[in-house]
Amino acid sequence: MFPDSFTISIAPSINAFIDALITNYGDGFRSVGDAVLWFIVGVEQILRGLPWWLVIVIAASIAFMASRRALFASLTALALFAVGVLGLWDQAMQTLALMLVATTFSAAIGVPFGMALARSGRVSILARPILDAMQTLPSFVYLVPAMMLFGLGKVPALLATVIYAMPPVARLTELGLRTADPDAVEAALAFGASPRQKLWHVELPLALPSIMAGINQATMLALSMVVVASMIGARGLGEEVLVGIQRLDVGRSVVAGLTIVILAVVLDRITQAATKARAK
Amino acid sequence: MTFASQINRKSGRECQIRFVSKRAPMIRLLMSIFVLGVLLSGTAARACDISRPIVFAGLDWDSVGFHNAVARRILETGYDCMTDVIPGSTIPLLQGVARGDIDVAMEVWKDAAAEVWLRALAKNQVVEVGINFPDALQGWYVPRYVVEAHPDLKSVADLVKYKALFKDAEEPAKGRFYNCVAGWECEVVNTNKLRAYKLEPHFTNFRPGTGVALAAAIGGAYLKREPILAYYWGPTWVLGAYDLVKLQEPTWNDTDWKGISTNADYPRAVDYPAVTVWIGANAKFVKAAPTVTTFLSNYRTSAALVNEALANMRETNTNDNAAALRFLKTQPQLWTTWVPADVAAKVQAALK
Repeated sequence: MFPDSFTISIAPSINAFIDALITNYGDGFRSVGDAVLWFIVGVEQILRGLPWWLVIVIAASIAFMASRRALFASLTALALFAVGVLGLWDQAMQTLALMLVATTFSAAIGVPFGMALARSGRVSILARPILDAMQTLPSFVYLVPAMMLFGLGKVPALLATVIYAMPPVARLTELGLRTADPDAVEAALAFGASPRQKLWHVELPLALPSIMAGINQATMLALSMVVVASMIGARGLGEEVLVGIQRLDVGRSVVAGLTIVILAVVLDRITQAATKARAK
Repeated sequence: MTFASQINRKSGRECQIRFVSKRAPMIRLLMSIFVLGVLLSGTAARACDISRPIVFAGLDWDSVGFHNAVARRILETGYDCMTDVIPGSTIPLLQGVARGDIDVAMEVWKDAAAEVWLRALAKNQVVEVGINFPDALQGWYVPRYVVEAHPDLKSVADLVKYKALFKDAEEPAKGRFYNCVAGWECEVVNTNKLRAYKLEPHFTNFRPGTGVALAAAIGGAYLKREPILAYYWGPTWVLGAYDLVKLQEPTWNDTDWKGISTNADYPRAVDYPAVTVWIGANAKFVKAAPTVTTFLSNYRTSAALVNEALANMRETNTNDNAAALRFLKTQPQLWTTWVPADVAAKVQAALK
């Protein structure tokens, strides 16, 4: 046994800190939360407000633009049609909205973060354990205080999703920038490119396939978080899975689970096709 | 000697032989110490009904942990029994009691696990040995500071007037009602009630996915002194720690209650009943352990007592065992009535 006299109990001070945070800064967090919420609700209203066929047409055209293949576009349309046939269209749109917003946030935070990591080795060394923690810390550890600060619903769900989905964007952005063809970078410097020109016109375009792979990973991870998101009150497919599990209604959870898989496959193929098209 | 470095230099087989030959004496020593320990503990005098450990159901909510700790401590120090706990959730554990993998469940909520438990009762696989507490409450709660600021808010019928107070940020035109956990029976009941009280157009039926989320929502609102309207149940630390007021509902009656709790679309205005929570045990165990069963059938607490114990446990950041110890030390007038005088004396002696 580890000697008792060496142990330090930090749990009470963490509790006191969280309580003080909620009591004193609750309003501040709430207004940040409300701003984020406005954004999510807006996207959700658009997706749920559009007629189903229009959503399918839009998705199929995005698939076509990404891949330039008619077969791929029609398969995308068929997969989304299947979601409707399974009777989970509305829930799928709610999940899709949360997921798209989460991926947008992950990219918007992850890409600049990755650029900072690529720039300085020291920042990279310091940030790596933080990225590890974001991906491994059991989500309810930080979700309980988040729920107390923001209330239940879409905001803590988004927070959990972004924390889990952002690290691969940052890591792959860093990787892409660090492995950008040194000859091309040197050539740019020889032509007298400024550091900004070098970054925007040489390194970032070279790193783009890697960044896109990161965003692809982020969409996948965001979808894998939908059940956790529903545990804290976000509506959608996750709620169907959860209710099915809690009532031992296996069929219901399998149908919802399959719908999540369909969404995942569609989004994965579209982002991958976009990556390949850019790489050419 | 590191195992990996050996593998690098020598063949795997040779390395394994060396490993075993070097470690064997130590393993033998450890094993003999272990056997000695088992023998020594076995020679101690046992007055317990059965020689194997009595297995408790470690159901996954907090009051069970407290009851298990109290009962185990009394059995271990007073009756010289060995005890153990198997953690899990309601359905598998109650099935375990029916099969005999688990001996005792300190809290059987017959409404929540009706089918599994009633089936086992009908087959005489399980016995309801006693009532743990007869007054478990559930209902729609608001914090006391809300009622103090708005004295007119007394019953569910007043809620329409106050929907702006409980505003849902995701749907600002409506109030938010925090329902029970999605998928639980109480969620069906509350959804029916929401319709029966004509609140459906005015309040979002907000279902948290887990009990933790619901508790966090209430705790967060309470710390910020914000209004909140939520379903909750007791005995729980939440009802002990936060001063919540139950809104009045139309009186309870059996027919409406049965309908509302079994049908998904059966809106009736009817209150929750005060629930009796039973102590259940495996039938074979009851036969084999009559003295332990007598103790369990005398075991009796109340919702208020458990609420207080759980809230104190949370405040002082202690565990179930410490809470059980505190209960045994501070309330001997209660628990000494559960056991014979000589057992009580032994438990008392072990407390010092």
